[in-house]
Formats: sequence, C-alpha cells, structure tokens
Amino acid sequence: MRRLKARDEHALQELYDALAPWVLGLAYRILHDEDAAEEVVGDVFVKVWRGVHKHDPDRGPLVPWILSIARNRALDELRRRQRWWRKAERWGQARGATGAGEEVANPGPHEAAVPGWPLHREVHAALATLPDELRRVVMLAYFEGLSHSQIARRLQQPLGTVKTRLRAAHQKLTDQLAHLKDWLE
Amino acid sequence: MTDWLGMSVPPRTPRPELKGRVLARALARGRRWPLALAAALVVVAGGGGSLWWAHGRIDALGAERDRLAARVAALEDTVSSFIHDPATRLIQVPVSTGGRVGSVTIFVDSTRHRWLVRCEGLAPNARDQTYQLWFVTDKGMQPAALMLMDRDQPMVMGLPLPQAGERVMGAAMSIEPRAGSASPSGPIVFRVGL
Repeated sequence: MRRLKARDEHALQELYDALAPWVLGLAYRILHDEDAAEEVVGDVFVKVWRGVHKHDPDRGPLVPWILSIARNRALDELRRRQRWWRKAERWGQARGATGAGEEVANPGPHEAAVPGWPLHREVHAALATLPDELRRVVMLAYFEGLSHSQIARRLQQPLGTVKTRLRAAHQKLTDQLAHLKDWLE
Repeated sequence: MTDWLGMSVPPRTPRPELKGRVLARALARGRRWPLALAAALVVVAGGGGSLWWAHGRIDALGAERDRLAARVAALEDTVSSFIHDPATRLIQVPVSTGGRVGSVTIFVDSTRHRWLVRCEGLAPNARDQTYQLWFVTDKGMQPAALMLMDRDQPMVMGLPLPQAGERVMGAAMSIEPRAGSASPSGPIVFRVGL
C-alpha cells in the first residue's frame, strides 16, 4: 500500500499479479463475457492506481476495497447491457433467478497455487454454510446488484422477508469473516 | 462484510497480453500531467502559429466528436426502435463455430420491413473467409449481408428486407470467401424459419 501511494510502478505490477485473477473472476461472474470482464480489469487497475490515496486503511483492507470497485464497475456494465437487451431478456436470455447454486460449487484444486486461495476458501465456505434462502438473496444482491424490491419481485416473496433474510445473511457473514485480513503487504 | 464476497468467486487466469495492456493504460494515465505540461510548454514555445494550429485542431476534433456522437445517437435510436416496437419479433439462434458456442439474434421489424441482426460469440473468420447472412425466400436463398468477424467482438447490423415480390421465410448463415458469394457455397452455420 505504501509503495502504491509512493507511485511505485513495480508495486502496481505486483498488485496486478496478485489480484487480477480475482478481479477477472468476479467481473466474469457478473457479466459472463470474457471481453467485457477484461475491460473491467483495466478500469479497476486504472482507478486503483489513480485513486489509491482515497483508500483509508482504517475503514478496511485493500482487497475488499478493490473488489468493491470491480463489482460496481461490472454491475454498471451489466445494467448498461440490460437496458439494451431488456426485450431479449424477456424471451429468456436473462439468467435464472436461482443461478446461484452452481456458483458456490467448489472450484478445482488446480487453482490452489493462486495467491489469496486460502482466503477464497474461507469466503466460499462461509457462503456455503448459509441456508439456501439466505444465500440466494445475497447472490442476487451482490452479483446482480438487485435492490431489495427487485429481489422480492424476482423471488416472488414479500419485501420484508427479503430484508430480513439479507440482514440475517449479513450478520452471519460478518461473524464468520470478521477475522479476515489482506494477504497483501 | 459483504465486501469480501467477491473472493467467493473462483479466480480466472487472465490472458498474458492483458497485463501489458492494463498496466500501460494505468501508467499512461498516471503520466498524463507531465505529458500535458510538456505539451503546453511546446505550444507556448511554438508561438502564435502553433497556437492557431492547435486551436484549429481542437475545433476539428470537437466537430469529429459531435459527428460521432450524432452517429451513436442515431444508432441507439434505430436499435431502440427495433427493441421497443411491439411489432418486433425476436429470433435467437444458438450457433457453434470453431468449437465455440455463440448466438445470432434477429429482431424482425415487420412494420418497416427490416431486420436488426446481432452476432455474438462466433469464432473469428479465417483470413480469406467471412460469414454471409442469407434471406431464405420463396425464390431461394438471397444474399443479405456479409458479416466479417475479424475480431472476437459482437457485431450488430441493420438490414432492409428484399423488395416486394419475394417472401422472406427464414434466415441462414454460411461461411463464404471473403468477397461473398451469390449463393451459399460454404458450410452452413445455421438455417432457421421465421
């Protein structure tokens, strides 16, 4: 972090090596489009390089901050695409409301050498321990950027139920992930 | 705590060339101020003539930007009229090319007798080939358009339907020589009825 703030270009390269696979994975999970996900990766590292001084370590570690930039950028792109292709979605292009299930399946062990893998395992495991109904609302909120009322409509459930489930999921995840720290120095 | 949720997604290995592209983009922006300052000094040092040239250049670029913005607006308007017109039908055809699964989406505007065709996920063409779209009519296959896919990116194209006298009953796509063919001669990518 200090090296990034000191405009050390090697630090940016190291950050890319450590985080690009995760940023690309997240962007691809949201967009399902390799080219668009790569664009997001570019946007994220430009934004991080230019705005690293805005990151306040007291408010949280660096990795979640970067992942939140990636998520927001990918969701912006997703919404832009959805505006154009809403009609196509009505014919069934949209992903299913419950596409979350396959996404939490365990990935292959060959990727275990990737930096940050132990942290991935912990987050993955925390998510997997959530009951289905909680995990589903979390996935829709986080990976599709849906509002509470949009989730309620999508799942055909009362708004209050959705809010309660999101609160409960948030609390459980907070309890389980509170100890996490960046693996970056 | 949901900030960590992004880590629940398995990583994807970026293509090796992406790193150079991303870093060049990030660092170029970081160096923008020194470059801008240097450019400003050059302009000042160059005197009034350079300043006048720069002013003209900015005007030209501004006009070009406005022209492109107008084209984009017109394109958005066209696409929007296709998508939101209740008379528009949508046909989506999954296709497999070069071992990849992609899709061709056809918006059929029967009111204005035109199609909007979007290709996505098709394998890029070989150097001497192109995709060719065909109208399937009651008088046989009529050329509709060449859809050259040199890059691995989606393509969108608006097409007027053939003049009266031919009834369009479907669409087809084949792989043809780069200059196109009068009738299908290469492998058929798909054929679909309307």
